[in-house]
Amino acid sequence: MASIDIRDIHKSYGKIEVLHGVDLAIKDGEFIVLVGPSGCGKSTLLRMIAGLEEVTGGDILIAGNRINDLAPKDRDIAMVFQSYALYPHMSVAQNMSYSLRLRKTPREKVASAVSAAASKLGLDPFLERRPKALSGGQRQRVAMGRAIVRQPKAFLFDEPLSNLDARLREQMRAEIKKLHGELGATSIYVTHDQIEAMTLADRIVAMHGGVVQQVGSPLDLYDRPANLFVAGFIGSPGMNFIEARYQPGEGSPAARLADGTLVALPHAYALEPDTPVTLGIRPEHVVIGGEGREAAVELIEPTGFGTILHLALHGLPFKVFTTDRKVLNAGNAAAVSFPPQHLHLFDREGARVAAL
Amino acid sequence: MATTVIAEQSPHRRPLMQRFARGSEPYLYSAPALILIVTVMLVPLVVGISYAFRDVQILNPFSGGFIGLDHFRALAEDRAFLGALRNTVWWTGASVLLQFVFGLILALLLDKPFTGRGIAQALVFLPWAVPTFLTGLNWAWLFNPVIGPLPHWLHALGILSEPNNILSDPALAMWGPIIANVWWGIPFFAITLLAALQAIPRDLYEAASIDGAGPVQRFLSITLPFLAPTIAITILLRTVWISNFADLIVVMTKGGPADRTQIVASYIFTQAFTRLDFGYASAIAMVLLVLLLVYSMLIVVLRQTLLNKD
Ligand SMILES: Nc1ncnc2c1ncn2[C@@H]1O[C@H](COP(=O)(O)OP(=O)(O)OP(=O)(O)O)[C@@H](O)[C@H]1O
Ligand SMILES: [Mg+2]
Repeated sequence: MASIDIRDIHKSYGKIEVLHGVDLAIKDGEFIVLVGPSGCGKSTLLRMIAGLEEVTGGDILIAGNRINDLAPKDRDIAMVFQSYALYPHMSVAQNMSYSLRLRKTPREKVASAVSAAASKLGLDPFLERRPKALSGGQRQRVAMGRAIVRQPKAFLFDEPLSNLDARLREQMRAEIKKLHGELGATSIYVTHDQIEAMTLADRIVAMHGGVVQQVGSPLDLYDRPANLFVAGFIGSPGMNFIEARYQPGEGSPAARLADGTLVALPHAYALEPDTPVTLGIRPEHVVIGGEGREAAVELIEPTGFGTILHLALHGLPFKVFTTDRKVLNAGNAAAVSFPPQHLHLFDREGARVAAL
Repeated sequence: MATTVIAEQSPHRRPLMQRFARGSEPYLYSAPALILIVTVMLVPLVVGISYAFRDVQILNPFSGGFIGLDHFRALAEDRAFLGALRNTVWWTGASVLLQFVFGLILALLLDKPFTGRGIAQALVFLPWAVPTFLTGLNWAWLFNPVIGPLPHWLHALGILSEPNNILSDPALAMWGPIIANVWWGIPFFAITLLAALQAIPRDLYEAASIDGAGPVQRFLSITLPFLAPTIAITILLRTVWISNFADLIVVMTKGGPADRTQIVASYIFTQAFTRLDFGYASAIAMVLLVLLLVYSMLIVVLRQTLLNKD
């Protein structure tokens, strides 16, 4: 177990820079989740920590020691791959014990480490099988087992659950969380599944285009997204955005929409009057019914737990999530209103505007 | 009308003709392919085998009669044949082994990215495109001290005491065709092994390097197990092929000096086309065929047990 410090990490492939200076301080025992859209450099960052990619610029420190130039095997980390990368010619037990055997660990120690890991992961019945003869979920467990037998300083996960079906993913997610609770090892987990990110993380690192957008606890990112990207990326269905202009008013700040109507804001902001801003509101925070602005219902998606309404508000697409099973049909009109305390305000550059 | 209805109701009482038609249906469908295979492959084989039991000499118009196992009896006493058998083992073993080892090394080198890899790959595969006949001539000239540099280089390195032609030295002559064969056959192993290497998932190597495996351990515990089936099948194919492969020997040494480079295949060639004794040549060919069949069976069984172990 150890802290991991990432200092101004750059990565280029030839002339193309894919990571533009990433800084991250990970505390001992913390569970960090890297999220971001495909191609934003999550895997690249993880693989640099693992030693599988060369560092173009910056430093990586594990437990305070610079490890930029250390071989992967000398970094004392374990990695779980999306493809599991199990050795097909070895049995489950051999897969799990490979690293220990390479380190010339005494036989009894290897056996006890493997059996402890196997019973923790429910793999006892499969120890003599080849990976070929296992289901996807079982293979995933073997990959986890291979990582934990060694008791490394840190675990790295690169989308370990993305090859599993939804039900199994949910189950493994809970198990990973439980396992982290028991082992308490520093973990970095890459995913683009935001439910995984929200449920697992102590802190989420949201990345976009090779740049860290925001670091914070899951609810931090959900409640106070630092910019439009994070606001749109975290949450499902995604946040609604409306172009508007800021109106300080006289003690009653508001945003003027394109059609001239006003939306009341919770606070005053340090903005010039008439500054263009983007209003954000999550679909689950929009209130349906009562007083409000007219919107046409275009499509209804019942999810069982609730319903996603696709509306056209002032001609723009707009989503609402409601657990209220009111009978609204496509073609109906709905009245929507925006509770001020749930509104987010972003400036022209997309950065969150802080309240005065 | 009534009979068909009954027949459909009780399948056990179908008319004989109908049952026969049903039963022969699959054979009729596959007949065209089977007939083609039989005429193209089996007929020449059977005719060839039948020669082995007949006295077929092109220059003797009275030959052609059935002589039973006479050829095989003669063969058992034929010292030239036994020598050729020994030479075949030596020729095949050395050629296949060296081709394989160099092919594997080359494939491993070409599997790593480096600048100019594309050109290197193309160049490596070049020998494969050279006709064997030309290959033989070329190497024969290279080994000739009058026009070729090799004897002088070997002499300078102290490997040869005199810059002589190794092709005319009974003790060394076999090395000539073997070296030519290795040069010519490396690309086959390099190509097939490279293809197999590139099919190995990269993340296995990454997982192993994180687990603490060095290059040698990665080779032994990942590369080799993945290559094993390919190695088995290519070695099997090449062994059969090379033991039948007389071109280089015929071109470079004609089996000489003193039959020291005569392999069974070139011996067959000599018997058939120099002595024009087709019957005897066929008998030798049959013995070779049986030996190779036995060998192939062994390898197939070995491969199967290896695969089943997984
Ligand atoms: N070997 C390489 N050569 C050139 N560019 C590369 C290489 N590997 C990755 N990239 C580029 O680096 C960027 C980041 O890739 P990376 O694999 O880290 O994305 P990711 O965030 O993990 O995406 P995903 O969620 O799809 O796995 C991508 O734009 C990719 O095209
Ligand atoms: Mg990735």
